[in-house]
Amino acid sequence: MSNHEIKIMDSIMDRIRDDKVKMKPRWYFVLGSIAMIVGFICAVIISIFFVSLISFSLRSHGPMGAVRYQELIDSFPWWALAIAVFGILIGSLILKKYDFSYKKNFIGIIIFVIFAIIISGFLIDILGFDNFWLKRGFMNKYNDQNHVQTVKMHGLGKNNINN
Amino acid sequence: MDEIKNFSDEQLADYVRHQDKEAYFEIVQRYQNKLLRYVSTITNDEAKAADIVQNVFLKAYINLNSFNHKKKFSTWIYRITHNETINELVKYKNETPLLENMDFRGGDDLETDFSKKEIKEKVKKCLISLPFKYSEPISLFFLEEKSYEEISDIMRLPVNTVGTRINRGKKLMKKICQTMK
Repeated sequence: MSNHEIKIMDSIMDRIRDDKVKMKPRWYFVLGSIAMIVGFICAVIISIFFVSLISFSLRSHGPMGAVRYQELIDSFPWWALAIAVFGILIGSLILKKYDFSYKKNFIGIIIFVIFAIIISGFLIDILGFDNFWLKRGFMNKYNDQNHVQTVKMHGLGKNNINN
Repeated sequence: MDEIKNFSDEQLADYVRHQDKEAYFEIVQRYQNKLLRYVSTITNDEAKAADIVQNVFLKAYINLNSFNHKKKFSTWIYRITHNETINELVKYKNETPLLENMDFRGGDDLETDFSKKEIKEKVKKCLISLPFKYSEPISLFFLEEKSYEEISDIMRLPVNTVGTRINRGKKLMKKICQTMK
């Protein structure tokens, strides 16, 4: 063994024995991975929402278009944005600093994700899933209120018909 | 303690994680020579290489739980070494001769000119003069005897790029070695 090798061995083993260096627990890396995955999923949700919104705004739409457009904007998933930002931030802080993971085809993954987002965004808009979501989902209550307001605005209420 | 000598690197890493941290001694013993040689050929400075390798072993120990024992331990530790060496080179960029823009074109297939053994000796002498982007894959391929796939994992480059760099590096090295004679 050369002097350098002996020095390295002694220095490392002394620090390990004296507990000057400690192994990071397994949960630390698991947490980083989970935060990253959850953040990434939320980022995808937001991206799909945006693509759907853009697709809708590009299409010609009737007199209710502005109302529906406003509904879509009002239903922006802020929770997803918050989770995406925190998840990716925490995940990259934990994982990027100790980025010893194995090679992944990042370009392939990115291309796949971009295509998946664009296609699903357009599909959601074309197939009318956004309508379904607005009517059936947590926006149902909001829609009912909105509908009542619209009816009042245009004077189409039951009372008006009777009168 | 003698039983660990028969362990594979991956088994040994698992053993250190779950059973006996003292067994890390064996990992250091198995890799310090290889890593010192690898880093020395890149930095051309043994003392600096020793510092880098020491940091590598410490980081590897601290992050041993992030190692996936289903993968190759050697690739993992070489990846850490690659990162650590790059960081050091960036820190001391002005001191290290990084001849990134230097390139030569050569039409011959040098695979026929050099056998692997012959190259191994020449590599040691000429490697220092090569630009870093060529010296690293050549060092990994000829001195550390890593496959293209492993080098691709360590350097995070596509396998084709690794092949191209090794081929260009060989041509470049031939030119440099010839001018050295």
